[in-house]
Amino acid sequence: MQYALLAYSPPEDTDRASRPIPGGLAPLLDRPDVTGWARLHADESATTLRNDDGRMLLTDGPFIDSKEYLAGLILIEADNLDRALAIAAEMLQETRPGTAIEVRPILDGRFRGA
Amino acid sequence: MALDAVFRDQWGRVLATLVGILGDIELAEDAAAEAFAIAAERWPRDGEPANPTGWLVATARNRAIDHLRRRQVLADKTTLLARDIETGLRPPEAFVDDSATIPDERLELIFTCCHPALALEAQVALTLRTLGGLSTDEIALAFLVPFETLSKRLTRAKHKIRNAGIPFAVPPDHQLPDRLAAVLAVVYLIFNQGWGGGRVDLAAEAIHLGRALAGLMPDEPEVLALLALMLLHDARKAARLRDGQIIQLDDQDRTLWDARQIDQGRELLRRAMAHGRSGPYLVQAAIADLHLHEPRDWGQIAALYRTLARQTGSPIVEMNLAVAVAAIDGPEAGLAILDGLDLDHYRYFHSTRAELLRRAGRDGEAHQAYRRALSAAQTEPEQRFLADRVAETAPSAVSEPRQAGA
Repeated sequence: MQYALLAYSPPEDTDRASRPIPGGLAPLLDRPDVTGWARLHADESATTLRNDDGRMLLTDGPFIDSKEYLAGLILIEADNLDRALAIAAEMLQETRPGTAIEVRPILDGRFRGA
Repeated sequence: MALDAVFRDQWGRVLATLVGILGDIELAEDAAAEAFAIAAERWPRDGEPANPTGWLVATARNRAIDHLRRRQVLADKTTLLARDIETGLRPPEAFVDDSATIPDERLELIFTCCHPALALEAQVALTLRTLGGLSTDEIALAFLVPFETLSKRLTRAKHKIRNAGIPFAVPPDHQLPDRLAAVLAVVYLIFNQGWGGGRVDLAAEAIHLGRALAGLMPDEPEVLALLALMLLHDARKAARLRDGQIIQLDDQDRTLWDARQIDQGRELLRRAMAHGRSGPYLVQAAIADLHLHEPRDWGQIAALYRTLARQTGSPIVEMNLAVAVAAIDGPEAGLAILDGLDLDHYRYFHSTRAELLRRAGRDGEAHQAYRRALSAAQTEPEQRFLADRVAETAPSAVSEPRQAGA
């Protein structure tokens, strides 16, 4: 099965863009069961477009207004939820305290080779 | 054997096997329900088959295959729908292989139902539905939840199992202790939901599940200990109420206790202890056993509550320790422990505190505490018991200390 791991990070002081991927996380992203990943700029950079009864509303900022922000998403292949959770747990070990990973099964999608 | 009894014994087995074959709880449940309905119609007429489990599994499997074929046919938009359904129906007996041993996959099923990725209330409902064979109606009534709410909860859980890929498997060794603890917590929660008011006897359901688990995992001391704990508690059921009044343990008529169940519980406790590993259910079962002895050995009970408090870190255990300490060193010693606990939200905290205050002669405070306990009481016997205590400790009913001193 395919799963999307959505990583939510707590706010940070330093500039995210100038920081490298945490040392322990980089090799995990190279695992063969990771089929794709994206690291996102901080949520100040977000622009949200919303369909409001047919009118497209544009707002500055992320759609979900919370302390934590969506920092990245990782696509993985796993036999079942327990395997997916184990991979997510390994990655979570390498993140800052307060980080959370939401594990969502993928309904369908297409992953073009990078 | 009455069909109801067969149903009870077979439902979990048959359903678990079907989930293993079909890989989908919803489909398995529909097919199993059909097979049981066919059995209800045929068995009284034709006699019970030699291998009821095999018959039910085979019949249900054929039904499921028919369903899947029908879905396929619909998907293909063929015009041969009617004929295909007809040719798809075969007498189930033709497929029954009585010599085949049906694997017992109830453990896989209970670990699926009690997976931590499901909400606790969904785990409970799903376990009662799939392994206990209770109807959605019965579960809704037992938990005082509207039928629609419970029905949605079950459907959502079954869909999550399918869509999120929650495995149908006994967890590997490194995960087993945590996952088993989750299963046992669900069973114990069902047990503690209690019984009465014409509702399903959930304590009996929990014991039924506990027996199944003990049969499937005979070498897990915590599984045996949980069953022992439930049997020892439940054995006092008949003595716990008299004319709708709660009777406290010391005042209970011991001839009403179920001696056979107590023996079973003690035997299980011995078997669990023989493993030489201590877990929270083992300690609780040992405490439940000590409570049945007369006079009660409060020193040992307090020592075990201390062990349990270390194991669980639970303030409710500390509260029970306070009761044991009060029995040894007097109510003030117990109250000193209670004062340090943050259990304001827990309904039994106030009745426990009230009882110790009353014994300490602090009737004014006891009265207030009983009133708080009464406002949080959830069952009628509890309410009656506490209302009596509120009345007993009311200022007019006791000698006023100020007047006595004047």
